[in-house]
Amino acid sequence: MNIIVGVADMKVSNDPATVLVTYSLGSCIGVTVYDPVVRVAGILHFMLPDSSLDPAKAVTKPYMFADTGIAPLFRAAYELGAKKQRMRVIVAGGAQILDQQGFFNIGKRNYMALRKIFWKNRVMVSHEEVGGNVNRTVKLAVKDGTCRVKVSGAGEFQI
Amino acid sequence: MNKDIGTIVAGIDALRPIPQVANKVMSIVKDPQSSMGMLSEIIQYDQVLTANLLKAANSAYFGLSKRVDSLHQAIVYLGMDKVADLVLMGAGSANYSQPQEGYGLKSGDLWRYSVSSALIARDLAEKKQMEDPHVVFTAALLKDIGKVVLSQYVAESIEKINFLVSEHGFSFREAEKTILGIDHAELGAMIAGKWRFSEKMIDIIGNHHLPIDALYREEAAVVYVADTLCMTMGIGVGSDGLAYRFHKQVMGDLGFTDREYQEVIAGFGDKISQVEELIQAN
Repeated sequence: MNIIVGVADMKVSNDPATVLVTYSLGSCIGVTVYDPVVRVAGILHFMLPDSSLDPAKAVTKPYMFADTGIAPLFRAAYELGAKKQRMRVIVAGGAQILDQQGFFNIGKRNYMALRKIFWKNRVMVSHEEVGGNVNRTVKLAVKDGTCRVKVSGAGEFQI
Repeated sequence: MNKDIGTIVAGIDALRPIPQVANKVMSIVKDPQSSMGMLSEIIQYDQVLTANLLKAANSAYFGLSKRVDSLHQAIVYLGMDKVADLVLMGAGSANYSQPQEGYGLKSGDLWRYSVSSALIARDLAEKKQMEDPHVVFTAALLKDIGKVVLSQYVAESIEKINFLVSEHGFSFREAEKTILGIDHAELGAMIAGKWRFSEKMIDIIGNHHLPIDALYREEAAVVYVADTLCMTMGIGVGSDGLAYRFHKQVMGDLGFTDREYQEVIAGFGDKISQVEELIQAN
């Protein structure tokens, strides 16, 4: 069964029948985690890099921001028995509009925020599908950790 | 006009024309002398429109504490402006029920995109205290109507279009124009003309990717920015991806800061599920 991870949303699962899906990332970023030993999968779909934009919203909607969304994704996976050193981390999204440099480049800033948080917390990324001008959808199967990325107009492929 | 463009343009006739009520509502809300009575007078005879309007008014998007059971109540509780928006939405939705396969959009995607950018455009127009937020709302709502007609031709030439985008740095719209001889914004302006929309609306729709060329530059800029914010959020993005030109100057000229644009995204992100309910009501 597909469980949809919405925009500014996070879900984890250890039900082998479940496939986590997050649609249409645009400049948003989808972070997927998977521990193959305990078969725990999780996806976070965050929109913006930094919760200092709106601290009140960061409390009610922590998954909207990189800095308040990433840690809870990992914690939720740990609660289901996942271990950091076994986790396979995949990052997708962060697309940009053509000629977008600097001003309002949310895709790039989302990615930079994520890299900084991962670097501080020593998280290794197994695979990235980021940047460019394409729109991506990500699916993660709980039973075996298969991760598929669909690029609108260019088909779906397995990572 | 070459023969192929003639064929494409002839496809406009297959669209369902926008009900007259849309134009009437736009002219009423523009007039400071108009009254609630005048607005309900136009709408009340259209039962389908009224039923959809009440469904939308009662959706979680507006979060009313009391149920709205009549047109009159809807106008009282939501105000004329919002009711007018709902009428315009109801009038505009008819052509969006099919998928636009050329653009990789499933049934409902283009409408979700259109409504989302219309709501954001209205929000920006209000912040700018623009005099005609309904025109901006409606232009944003209908700016991609050209895609409905162009979709099948884009589908036939998608490989050529994608080649220009991925290998030669074209925007998707530029590639449409190069390969098909016409792009979805130009076609949208023709449709708006055929539907006898105002000169302003035709101008905004035709220039929604190139607001610098618009006569009504500020209005076109607001619609352009709303579109840009939707693409950033991945709303309504299909096989064209985010392959449209970013106009930094346009974003800056409107007078909003980078941070304010992010606040609009955060605000919209907060109510995406309510927006979905509002869309379902149409």
